[in-house]
Amino acid sequence: MKNTLKIDKLSKSFGKIKAVQNLDLEVIPGQVYGILGPNGSGKTTTLGMILDVVSPDSGNFQWFEGMPNIEARKQIGSILETPCFLPYLTAVKNLEIVAHIKKSNKDRIEDVLKQVGLYERRNDKFKTYSLGMKQRLSIGAALLSDPPVLILDEPTNGLDPQGIAEVRQLIVDIASQGKTILIASHLLDEVQKVCTHFCVLKQGVKIHEGAVSDTLGEINKVEVKSENNVALIKLLEKFEGTEKIENGGSSFNITLKAGFNAKHINEYCFSNGIILQKLNTHTNSLEKEFLKILKDHD
Amino acid sequence: MIRALKLEWLKIKNYRVFWILISMYLLALLIIASGGALFLQWLKSEGADFNGIDPTILPIFDFPDIWQNITYLGSFAKVFVAFIVIISVNNDLTYNTLRQNIIDGISKKEYLASKMMMIIVLAAISTLFVFLSGLINGLFYSHVLGVDVIFDKMQFLFAYFYEIIVYCTLAFLLSLIIKKSGFVIVALFLYTFMFEPIPVAIFENAPYFKDGIMPQVVQFFPIKALNNLITVPFGRYVFREIQDYISIKSFVISLGWFVFYLGSISFILNKRDLK
Repeated sequence: MKNTLKIDKLSKSFGKIKAVQNLDLEVIPGQVYGILGPNGSGKTTTLGMILDVVSPDSGNFQWFEGMPNIEARKQIGSILETPCFLPYLTAVKNLEIVAHIKKSNKDRIEDVLKQVGLYERRNDKFKTYSLGMKQRLSIGAALLSDPPVLILDEPTNGLDPQGIAEVRQLIVDIASQGKTILIASHLLDEVQKVCTHFCVLKQGVKIHEGAVSDTLGEINKVEVKSENNVALIKLLEKFEGTEKIENGGSSFNITLKAGFNAKHINEYCFSNGIILQKLNTHTNSLEKEFLKILKDHD
Repeated sequence: MIRALKLEWLKIKNYRVFWILISMYLLALLIIASGGALFLQWLKSEGADFNGIDPTILPIFDFPDIWQNITYLGSFAKVFVAFIVIISVNNDLTYNTLRQNIIDGISKKEYLASKMMMIIVLAAISTLFVFLSGLINGLFYSHVLGVDVIFDKMQFLFAYFYEIIVYCTLAFLLSLIIKKSGFVIVALFLYTFMFEPIPVAIFENAPYFKDGIMPQVVQFFPIKALNNLITVPFGRYVFREIQDYISIKSFVISLGWFVFYLGSISFILNKRDLK
């Protein structure tokens, strides 16, 4: 299969507001794809359209190379901002409805509830749950049919720090099973931690797209420190990979030439008799890049 | 279709409000269907008489007239079935489960089918219930018996079944438009028993309108067309002429409304963005 999802010139307006404009997007199997953007940039509207709950004004999208949408949706687990279940039913009964719709096996309900830590409360009504528990039930519902694709819309909204960590770990685990994940988020840190690819939306227009590692740029800045910093600097001035040395107080920041990284420095210093106390590679943060991308498009 | 029905069943089988409403409805039907004899006895004890005739000998439970009497009275209770439909549709809107169901993998057509299947099943249960009450009461009180009279005029039961389906489809449409269940219930109740019948009665009987075109126009009103299917049968006991058949005209008019309701429901489901 070439791509999981292909979006072609999708547009949607609400009155005068152009929520999404001519959006093209392609997600290939195995990607963890992040849709980034400030609040109101069209992320949720885009997800709504590809899940058939918002009707596009124009444009197309295709799941799994043209599988009918209704069948495709059965293959997709979705966790959207607010968990939607019938409050008067228990977790088990609510999941039975999901299993019925997705034509999946009811036997998995208990496993899934154990997985998200709701097994003890499985026979309590949904309305008695805390927000975190409701959120976890929607994760359970999404995992119920063991879907190859997962859609997450602000998956950590409203969760406590432990819940956030759990959801992130879950995303990483699921991604490592080779599943495709599409995440809409305004939390950059989140996208940086879990996504392989991302795009940035602004007022409904895609202004950037790429692999997370490409955008973060070459990792070329290394912070070093040793017991004898004077000898270390003398040595590094002779190192063929050194571009620039900056004094950073107790340590030094070395800018490396292309093709060199921390490993080369470590080897070089060690073979010349200096043991490094500190060797720290600086990565750019997505936050900086994101703000730069947004600024460039002002 | 069975799949669609099962979806609805999973939603309501553990829903207390549903069971309360359906019990109230069946109880109301039972009282309406069986209370007639008690009512006549009460009239007698109060000393009422119809030109010297003892009220308890009025043949209201005689086959086959009983079918028109009982379905006419039973059709007043159809609002209870409509309440079930309103609450079930409204739950899917307020709890966003309509949106969730679609995201999980049903089509809007399947959603429509699930609600219509529920309506059809409720109408079938009501009809069966009315049939059994009529049969039991008739076997007790009817002055005439025999397979040919018992199963005569069964078309009133069909009309009753059909009337509930059309009426509940209207309730379904209103729930989608108005969204607030309390409001829909009040609006539907008032419209069914006041806002339409009162003007209709005025147009049909007031001297100013009586001879004009209005009495013809009101036949096309949605509730009037349904009410015309099974008309007031009690005139026959005071030797007045009554409509003791199902009028094809009102059947066709209400069928037109039914198609309109279904079309509007599909239109709204397809056009509305669920956020």
